[in-house]
Amino acid sequence: MAEQVFPMDRTKHVDIIRHASAMADKAAFVADDFARALFPRTDVVFNDRMRSNARQYLRSAVGSVETRICQIATRDLGVTHEKLLSIGEGADGQSFAVLEHSGLLNTVEIVQHLFVKTQQSELAARLLQKISQQDLESTLTRHLDDEDPVVAEAAMGLLVAQSKTTGATGEIAASLADLPPEIVFAFAWPVTAALARLTGFPGQQLQQAAERLLAAHDESNGVARKAERLAQLLDQSGTDKDCVPHPMRDGLTLFVARLARQSGLSTDQIITFTAEPNMARLVVVMRAINIPVQDALSIFAALDGGDHILTAATYGETDRDRSRALVSRWASPSAYRNAERILSSDLLGDQGK
Amino acid sequence: MTTARKLTEPVMGQVDADGLLLSADPLLMQLHLRCGGAEGGPLAVPELAELCRLSRRLGMNLSRPVQASDDDCRIEMWVETRFTSSEKQQPLSLSIIDWKEYPDDDSDKMDPARERDFDRLEGRGAIRTDAALRIIVQQMPGESAQNADAVGQSLLDIYDVIPPSAHARLLEAVAERQPIRNQRMRAKIGAQRLFMLHGYPLIDKLGLFAGYRFTAMPDDPASDPEAGENDIKPVGRKLISDSLFGLQLGPALRQPLGKIIANAETISAKLEGPLRGDYASYAKDIASAGRHLLDLVNDLSDLEAIERPEFTVAGDDIDLVDLAHRAAGLLAVKAADHQIRMELPDEGEKLPASGEFRRSLQILVNLIGNAIRYSPDGSAIKLCVSVEDGFSRISVTDQGDGIAEDDQERIFEKFERLGRSGDGGSGLGLFISRRLARAMGGSLTVDSAAGEGSTFTLSLPTQKKP
Repeated sequence: MAEQVFPMDRTKHVDIIRHASAMADKAAFVADDFARALFPRTDVVFNDRMRSNARQYLRSAVGSVETRICQIATRDLGVTHEKLLSIGEGADGQSFAVLEHSGLLNTVEIVQHLFVKTQQSELAARLLQKISQQDLESTLTRHLDDEDPVVAEAAMGLLVAQSKTTGATGEIAASLADLPPEIVFAFAWPVTAALARLTGFPGQQLQQAAERLLAAHDESNGVARKAERLAQLLDQSGTDKDCVPHPMRDGLTLFVARLARQSGLSTDQIITFTAEPNMARLVVVMRAINIPVQDALSIFAALDGGDHILTAATYGETDRDRSRALVSRWASPSAYRNAERILSSDLLGDQGK
Repeated sequence: MTTARKLTEPVMGQVDADGLLLSADPLLMQLHLRCGGAEGGPLAVPELAELCRLSRRLGMNLSRPVQASDDDCRIEMWVETRFTSSEKQQPLSLSIIDWKEYPDDDSDKMDPARERDFDRLEGRGAIRTDAALRIIVQQMPGESAQNADAVGQSLLDIYDVIPPSAHARLLEAVAERQPIRNQRMRAKIGAQRLFMLHGYPLIDKLGLFAGYRFTAMPDDPASDPEAGENDIKPVGRKLISDSLFGLQLGPALRQPLGKIIANAETISAKLEGPLRGDYASYAKDIASAGRHLLDLVNDLSDLEAIERPEFTVAGDDIDLVDLAHRAAGLLAVKAADHQIRMELPDEGEKLPASGEFRRSLQILVNLIGNAIRYSPDGSAIKLCVSVEDGFSRISVTDQGDGIAEDDQERIFEKFERLGRSGDGGSGLGLFISRRLARAMGGSLTVDSAAGEGSTFTLSLPTQKKP
């Protein structure tokens, strides 16, 4: 049979061809993506809102790092590149589009951070259904009159930091000042490389700009650290000892920080626990640090997004000693826990026995 | 409890690119040196050094909580790292804005010296071994000082395991780090005394097995046919009389009670596995009731002993100030439970007296125990020492309800409780204490008025009678 020839107008179909080529390159990963969706390895449910919020936050974080690098490059280092100037002045960034599918944003550190921020935003939204934003913000004012000036000062610091970052209701945006140093670092270098590629501008000065961005970042200004410090001071001063942490009395950030402080866990862990089914691990943490039953039920109700109910009987029957042992295990370094999990699993077969 | 160091100014330090501590304020330098660092050497406070490394790796200023351990305390800090300039090799500046010290939380652990006091008070010996069962400390009943010859020798070189127990069984228990109970042993040298050993494994701060702590009860010769055959003289328990209670009922009750207490304590401490909290609490109650019964048995034994005509006490050289501190140490937990403060004579003071160490300690423990029992929570108990007319005196003053003048002599009578009940007393303590004081050539008196607290004074001869 004679070979059939299909003449093609290359100029007319150039976009679709490029698109098709890109699809062909990625086709190998379809099964991976589908498998992850079909066979999740955790019981945490990611709804569409969380996915959307995570993307929005990621875009915002990359954008704020990109903008700041361009500002430093153009204003402090005297770079006059047009595209860098326009990004520095607030034009839409372009790094995200380059980085999105590169895998450079797909590190465990970044994704874990995205998850925590998204869940935190979920919790904030749930709290706002039960207490007004104004009332939530006023929770910190009671510490402003603390007899220890250091506590009062820390409370003021947290209030100020929070007021700078509180966006419109339902909006999830990343503030550069609030990003943990490790995350800023994880974003800064891929964004710098993306900018160099997009603009064709020699990387040297962009690298200098990234270094200056990192050196200028001050972790002590972030809301999370300010909340942690206030939680530590309150715990040390003993003035708030009889006051059980509660999201409606402390506000979400300070509540999480106080719970973390009292349990020896990290704030990220506490937030992660609230995303798990029935918030089982949060209940165990509350039991371990001996939160009275009525407070525990109230905290559970304040943070729960569904129609789950924690009963006094369930809470009372949760063995405190076992809870303490579990929490102490969760407080061990994550690298250790990971290694322990791998070694105890059946993956190693007889070798691991 | 925290020891707060209010920092008026942050504690500063500088660390170079290689992690060497270039300069530090005295507080930081002191901690660095105590952590094993040297001046100009690498920063030796582990978490602080780790923070500096992270800060340098990221090239960023960090602000985080840091913990450090000193010899006897835990320190919580809040640390900020600052790059002094944009140069990568420039020193990193450390600024510690909070510094809070907490004493090490070893409240559950008993001071070994206090444990030995308990043992001596109850006529028990104590042996501490290392992980290879070599003796580190040995203080046996009836011996006034520690036995230095035994130190360094293996426990099994000094003592024979008495059947029906076997050498192998003991070693098996040691290998499995199990508590050892009711293990009969005989000293290979000297009077070949028989002991009943109870021991529990010691775990050091790293979680490693560090040896055993044994208590040694002189084994009752009456229940040991071998001892009779070998004509071994009964030792220890000098207070147990030859009468029915002292020789037969006392030991017969002590042994099962000892087992009940030991097992209940093992259960409550969850030494053999996890257990529900309320069951552990029941076991604690059982142990507590068992101890109360054992106290009663001891009181009755003492009662019989002191009523014997041949009863005598030793005339040791003792220091009443030292005894006051030891007795207060033994009851510190009980006092703390009731938020009772004990005011003691200055530890540097000395007040020599003549009397038997164990008996004098027993009297003071009885007096302080009564003061705690009958004082309101949150009050103070004061111990004062003085010398008068050739007698060394120690008084125990409480802020309780006091004793009416008519009752002041009655309280020294046998089984007299002044109508009280259910507070754990047997009504024998003061009777025994006064008889013991008199047997040592001294006296025990009370000075009190209803509603104004009581002062009990123990007087003992300052010097031995020629």
